[in-house]
Amino acid sequence: MKDCKKTNRNLVAFLYDELSDREKKQVAAHLETCQKCVEEVRQLEKVQEVADSLNADMEKALATVDWENLPSQIVDGVFDPKPARIRRSRRDGLRPFLLQPRFRLAYIGLLLGIVVGAVVTFLIFRSPPLQVTAEGKIIVPQGFYDKMELEMARRETIDYLDRSEYLLLDFIQSSPENSVEFWQSDYASRRAIDLLSKKKYIDPQLDKIKLAKAKAICDQIELLFFELIRISDELSAEELKKIKRLIEERQLLLKIKLVRRELQKSEA
Amino acid sequence: MHTQEKTQQDDIMSLVKGVKKGDREAFMILTQLYQRKIFQLAYSYLHNKEDALDIVQETFLRFHQKAHLFHEGKNFQNWLLQMAKNICIDYYRKHRKRDNELRREENIEEVHHTSHTSSRHDHPSDLKEIFSRCLEKLSEKQRMIFVMKHYNHLHYSEIAQILDIALGTVKSLHFKAVRNLRTHMSPYMGRMG
Repeated sequence: MKDCKKTNRNLVAFLYDELSDREKKQVAAHLETCQKCVEEVRQLEKVQEVADSLNADMEKALATVDWENLPSQIVDGVFDPKPARIRRSRRDGLRPFLLQPRFRLAYIGLLLGIVVGAVVTFLIFRSPPLQVTAEGKIIVPQGFYDKMELEMARRETIDYLDRSEYLLLDFIQSSPENSVEFWQSDYASRRAIDLLSKKKYIDPQLDKIKLAKAKAICDQIELLFFELIRISDELSAEELKKIKRLIEERQLLLKIKLVRRELQKSEA
Repeated sequence: MHTQEKTQQDDIMSLVKGVKKGDREAFMILTQLYQRKIFQLAYSYLHNKEDALDIVQETFLRFHQKAHLFHEGKNFQNWLLQMAKNICIDYYRKHRKRDNELRREENIEEVHHTSHTSSRHDHPSDLKEIFSRCLEKLSEKQRMIFVMKHYNHLHYSEIAQILDIALGTVKSLHFKAVRNLRTHMSPYMGRMG
């Protein structure tokens, strides 16, 4: 039984002639006495036989290969790889074609186009874009922030001038008898107070506009409304008429219009 | 005999040295000498002529790229076959495994059908097909060892060198390969008479 196990392990090597002479003799001696192991050998030989049946296919394949030319094909493939050769020949053929004198003008134009395009692109994109940090905060460039403030100041000033113009027009168009009541009315006084408070708000912004005319006219309007509100109770209809005339003489409404137009033109 | 073998090894070594220096002729001679061996290994592993030819080309290309890694004293044939074996395994994993699985799925029904309905003397190609599929059921190493031993007639010692494993392991894996083949083949063995 022990011999069977030992022999069994050597049977494949025995069939493939991989045993030493001593081992071969041992297996052969065992096979003479053990029918079970003989049967095992027969089974393994059948496997060998079936495996051999594939040999015919291989022989057929071997016969159809052109062994004479295969080495030179392989050598050519290794020493002169085709794709590389094609690439090289294409490049060699393309260079003289591209370097022809007739293409010079086209190349100069192309170069100029690239330079101009680069300059324009630089001018358009020179102010750095908005940047978003990892925490989601947006970093606004200083130049952009300044422009935004200037624009806000401009718009606030235009609004102030608009509203002042309407109030002054209402005042001028009011009949001389009603001038006193006009400034005593809630409607006019509230609007004037609103404008005065707005003026206080836009004062620091007016400095930023860098438009002396706008600041001067706004200051004049402020002073006018301030005085009218403060002393309107004590003023007679005659005095109010004088003030109206003064406004007309100094062409305050025209100046407001001109400054406003200038501000509108200078939109950032 | 020993002297003759030594001279042969020296000749091969001088050819390999020539290849290292870019000698085209030396490369050509080595290709002529070993192309069949590599083809046989590749064909018995992949069972396809075109695939086997691809492996032959790829092996010599790789040999040319890695000739500098070959050191004197090594067996050139075993070194070359080791490369071929690696290329075969890679090729099989990439191209053939999926194809074979598909083919197996397609044919398994057919084979079972034939095995039940046919007489004891079936067409030999059926057995070949069955055996081929049984061979693919073996593990990668068992299959390679069986192929090297049965179809390439390499000795255990050579296989051990090519696969870089112990001689005893080769013997044991070969035994397991043949026994597993017998097990897989047993339902069809009756046909052999």
